[in-house]
Amino acid sequence: MKLSELVNKDCSKAAVLFSSKKRILEYISELAHSQIPDTSQHTILDALMAREKLGSTGIGKGIAIPHGRLEGIDKILAMVLVSEQGIPFEAIDKQPVDIFVAFIVPEGDNQQHLKTLAAIADTLKNKSFCKMLRQAKNDDELYAVIQGEFDE
Amino acid sequence: MCEDTFLIQNKLGLHARAATELAQLAVQFDAEVTLYQGDKSASADSVLALLLLESSQGKEVKVVCSGPDAQPALDAIGMLIHNKFNESE
Repeated sequence: MKLSELVNKDCSKAAVLFSSKKRILEYISELAHSQIPDTSQHTILDALMAREKLGSTGIGKGIAIPHGRLEGIDKILAMVLVSEQGIPFEAIDKQPVDIFVAFIVPEGDNQQHLKTLAAIADTLKNKSFCKMLRQAKNDDELYAVIQGEFDE
Repeated sequence: MCEDTFLIQNKLGLHARAATELAQLAVQFDAEVTLYQGDKSASADSVLALLLLESSQGKEVKVVCSGPDAQPALDAIGMLIHNKFNESE
């Protein structure tokens, strides 16, 4: 599995402007709700916030992977957002975060969840890929980067 | 240098929160810590690298530590894995 297979065009957002962890999580939950209308924005936000309470998903180097497990969804929903400015996110290295790979996963499937995490990690460990994500000027460019249409 | 092998016991395996806990613990020691599972390896201070191991419940991981704090680092990481990353199941 690859990140490119998980993210659709509507879920690629470049140059977003938020200043706080709460606001970007709200935006992510709105975006997720638009993709899975049967699940309320409130439910999604609660799941994301609950996960952050257990420990920040800011994994270092300006990257965070906010996520939540939800019942009643049948497949993974993944979103990539790049913020114009770094947002304080209580990350492991205490650095602000500007790359957000957010995902909502069905409750229960632990093996699948580890595969999803590995697929995301595999993409994000590539520094030049992260650089291209940060340089994308609009949603179309960001989506093209995710789909690997911009070669190094 | 010292090493030991540990069984991943928690239900969720080495998922994001567990990997973050491990990385946060590893950086507290003056030691190079590397995890091995099968033919894959990961530096313990990188959450991304740890996630790539895809270590699920029931997998064995080898932890290799070197440097002045190698033994205390190995003991602490072994304890974290043994304690299921402080998770309930």
